[in-house]
Amino acid sequence: MIEVQGLRKAFRNVVAVEDVSFVARDGQVTGLIGPNGAGKTTTLRVLYTILRPDAGWARVDGHDSVTDRTAVQRRIGVLPDNRGLYVRLTAREHVRYYGRLHGMRGAALERRIDELVETLDMASFADRPAKGFSKGQTLKVALARCLVHSPHNVIFDEPTNGLDVSSSRAMRDLIRRMRDAGHCVLLSSHIMAEVQALCDHLVVLGRGRVAVQGTPEEIKRQTGKADLEEAFVSVARPGQPADEDVPERAYA
Amino acid sequence: MLDTVRIVFAKETLDNLRDRRTVLMSLIYPFLGPLVLGLLIVFVGKMLTAPATQSFQVWMDGSERAPALVAYIEEQGAVVREAEGDPRLMVKAGDVQTIVVVPEDFGDLMAAENTARVQVVVDSTRLSSIMTLSKTLDMLQRFSRTLGEERLRALSLNPELGQPLRIETVNVAAGRNIAAVFLNMLPPFLMFAVFIGGVYLAIDTTAGERERGSLEPLLTLPARRWHLMLGKFLASLVFTALAVVGALVAYKLMFEMVAAARVGINVNPGVEVFAKVFLVILPVMAFAVALQVIIATVTRSFKETQTYLGLLPLIPSAPGIVMVFVPVTGTTWMMLVPTLGQSVLVGQLMRGEPVDPLHVTVSVVATLAVTVAILVAAARCYEREQVAFAA
Repeated sequence: MIEVQGLRKAFRNVVAVEDVSFVARDGQVTGLIGPNGAGKTTTLRVLYTILRPDAGWARVDGHDSVTDRTAVQRRIGVLPDNRGLYVRLTAREHVRYYGRLHGMRGAALERRIDELVETLDMASFADRPAKGFSKGQTLKVALARCLVHSPHNVIFDEPTNGLDVSSSRAMRDLIRRMRDAGHCVLLSSHIMAEVQALCDHLVVLGRGRVAVQGTPEEIKRQTGKADLEEAFVSVARPGQPADEDVPERAYA
Repeated sequence: MLDTVRIVFAKETLDNLRDRRTVLMSLIYPFLGPLVLGLLIVFVGKMLTAPATQSFQVWMDGSERAPALVAYIEEQGAVVREAEGDPRLMVKAGDVQTIVVVPEDFGDLMAAENTARVQVVVDSTRLSSIMTLSKTLDMLQRFSRTLGEERLRALSLNPELGQPLRIETVNVAAGRNIAAVFLNMLPPFLMFAVFIGGVYLAIDTTAGERERGSLEPLLTLPARRWHLMLGKFLASLVFTALAVVGALVAYKLMFEMVAAARVGINVNPGVEVFAKVFLVILPVMAFAVALQVIIATVTRSFKETQTYLGLLPLIPSAPGIVMVFVPVTGTTWMMLVPTLGQSVLVGQLMRGEPVDPLHVTVSVVATLAVTVAILVAAARCYEREQVAFAA
């Protein structure tokens, strides 16, 4: 279970997220949605221990992301927006590297790697160096390495970003399977169709704050819109466009 | 802790062994120093070997006006050749190295037993003409002296009257003087190898990892960040050490080849000297890599890192370059400065001079202390939020 309470994070003078609170439960897919610059990535980065919040807290299975960083890191599998590979290592070597850093060794690790190669349909490129991998292949390697330690909680930042139709579908299938197996899945997205098809609980961010949250049905009801996309636009961009990409450019 | 360090170390070593650029940088680059130095020794050696008097050519302008001089030169076994054209232009153009110009009035002044004038035209910027010039001057001076003695004898005077001073030079360096200059070139060359050997790996594993977007997921793993950094540091250190060993082996081979070529410069420090040199500069390797890691961590992009780290080797090499021409006596304060102390010590070892054990101890301890301080600072930088994100 992932809990976020009163989260605030600013970069110099730019407030990226302000008073963000939500809970992502086990056996559910929770979607963090919002336009570019709404604070999705910043929120996730605090959760997966890369950023420290200025105020509020983030907990994974009750462990604080700042004071109990290692415990959080053990319990999460992270697919960040940055999912770069090592071009000279094979797909299998990527997964092995992460597995070893998670403390896995020997036959158990190799079995788990085989399992992931099978599940994610990576057999055709598992032993090839990553140089020249397609976006879909890159994503599968990034996924395999973040799932190698069978984490209970998974955090996916824009998991289908840049993927073709069949890769996106495979990704959605994987997410559903993980939810059905009781995992806590937290993802960010700005594609409404995907969100509608996947998420049990939605947290809509706009300008760094939670605009509205609940099930897709509740959100439609609360905003009085029949269509989720309409609802999304009405809460995320009340009046004027929020097009300043705060978190993405904060370190430029 | 050791597990993380070892896993990262193994991964970075494997990853970079597969990278032709890193391997080239580590293994080919250090060989350039020995190559340059070897060619230099052979060239300078040939240049400084005194030409044999037999078949030595003395170029003259107006030789017909000085038959006695020509006869004297030919008596010595050298050959007189008449310059066809403007002597100054010929020397300037590099056609000949020196030309002895005999003026119009030479014959008359000689006949009248007066002092006649000859000019030796030379281009002093051509280092290769040094030996020809000194040989030519030597012949002219001896001719002048012989003639003077004859004149005194004709007057029934003691020929030694006109020569109150006889100058003898005793060179205690016995041919090693010029060789020492080449040995002095090793410290700056080695410092360069130290700062170049593992630099690509240091950039690739830090700035490169960030720019590829692989650092962010790595930092979400349950591993202490400074352990990750230490693994990367050690991998870069091993590549640096390999490069330095490669360079030292190449220097030894080069000295062997130069010795076999017999160019008159006799330098060939033994294997044990090179082993001691390696041990003395081992702490500098750690210092160099620590510096590279912290620079690659705080800079914002791969390109920026490359710029800084490309310039970095010039700083530690600078004192060594000065010391090639102005050798310094090692003092304890110098040993406190990483790279400077080692430059002095390597020079002493290479020249076969005694090395003060206190100096070695001070340089090792001081350099390692600075290295640890840099690593602690680098670990702090790794804890910063910005570390994961490229500009």
